[in-house]
Amino acid sequence: MVTDMYSTFLQLLDGFKYTLIIFGATLLFSIPLGLLVAKGRMSRNRIVSGLIRLYISVMRGTPLMLQLMVVYFGPYFLFNISLRDLTIGNVDYRVTATIIGFSVNYAAYFAEIFRGGIQSIPKGQYEAAQLLGFTRSQTFFRIVLPQVIKNVLPSVTNEIITLVKDTSLAQVLAVTEMFTAAKGQASSQSSIMPLVMAGVFYYVMNGIIEIIMNRTERKLNYYN
Amino acid sequence: MKLLEMRNVKKSFDDLEVLKGISLEVNQGEVLAVIGPSGGGKSTLLRCATTLETVDSGFISIGGDTLVDTDANGKSHYADKHKLTEIRSKFGLVFQNFNLFPHFSVRRNITEALVHVHKMTRAEADKVCDELLVKMGLENKGNAYPCNLSGGQQQRVSIARALATNPEILFFDEPTSALDPELTKGVLKVIRDLAEEKMTMVIVTHEMSFARDVADRIIFMDGGVIVEEGPATELITNPKNDRTKAFLAGF
Repeated sequence: MVTDMYSTFLQLLDGFKYTLIIFGATLLFSIPLGLLVAKGRMSRNRIVSGLIRLYISVMRGTPLMLQLMVVYFGPYFLFNISLRDLTIGNVDYRVTATIIGFSVNYAAYFAEIFRGGIQSIPKGQYEAAQLLGFTRSQTFFRIVLPQVIKNVLPSVTNEIITLVKDTSLAQVLAVTEMFTAAKGQASSQSSIMPLVMAGVFYYVMNGIIEIIMNRTERKLNYYN
Repeated sequence: MKLLEMRNVKKSFDDLEVLKGISLEVNQGEVLAVIGPSGGGKSTLLRCATTLETVDSGFISIGGDTLVDTDANGKSHYADKHKLTEIRSKFGLVFQNFNLFPHFSVRRNITEALVHVHKMTRAEADKVCDELLVKMGLENKGNAYPCNLSGGQQQRVSIARALATNPEILFFDEPTSALDPELTKGVLKVIRDLAEEKMTMVIVTHEMSFARDVADRIIFMDGGVIVEEGPATELITNPKNDRTKAFLAGF
């Protein structure tokens, strides 16, 4: 029993590597992409903002699981291009496709959060900055963005926590992340224990995230 | 020397004509107060002069540089981007609601543009900042954040921020309107001091006695036109126009 649990733990830990990779890479790509998408969404160019609006609505209106499948199988079915053997470094295309799918999906959610944050900054901040001689990019990065970060932090925390749990969707592309490993162990041992352990993994990870984000929020509370 | 000149400036928002051809001049060392009822065009006038709104037609120059001019066909032409930046460095604006940067300390609010726009060293900028803080009676507030200050103190910080870049002319958009009465004193005193130093200023205000005491000249605006203009004491104590009389009677 104890050795069973130990070997399950090792298996999950092995899968957890992929969970972490998907999680980390998605955050790394989707947050800057989200900022860009938010900018595009607010563009005065109707075509740009219209296309971005459509993109956001598709990303939010269809299942992430389906989107992952489209990224992975789409190139083959649509263009007859097989990317199955494409490895970047030693990362399998399954993982790459998962990261692309997640990043593109989460960027849409982040974009809407950032847009709300950017639009909540009073016009007077821009006017004051402009008259003081700041360029547009200085105004954005020095004056606007720091205030936006503080405003959007609670919503961003929400998304990050959801992302931790969503990584389990990578199983549709047969990426052996933690949940896939837990399911395999559960059926080979005919026990629910591996799934419970997986739950604990997710819970602990989110607990750590909550602590970090709460600290960050407190740090930014030096003004209101 | 004329630091501000406006000729026949017109501005409409949709169908509403807010400025119906305003002409005025402000000479170096002069303090001009602009008074009048709400909706009379005072703030729009100030926003047009400070590039925050674009005029429909007319001529504006600041510090001898043409900000906007209108050709024979009635089409207005603004200075190019480069020139605009140069013109903006010649004046400062103090907003009604301060518009301080809440995430910066008082010191950074004052020095940020000096360091990142005017390319001063941190030490030079700090020196400018320290002098201004003394002048504003805020010696110990350099490290405070705007949210920890009273409205009057915040407005003095924003005056310091506008003065930091050493402008030739300073605009005030109802600088005390957002303040509790007891907090206006400190702000008005600072502006008085500036007037004594012969700082060129254009002040939109509702404080009539202040306007009378500090301004050299007063303009009374209503309905998008300058109704009456004259030396400060005379316009306040002995207005000629009936609308001016009626407006002043309310104070």
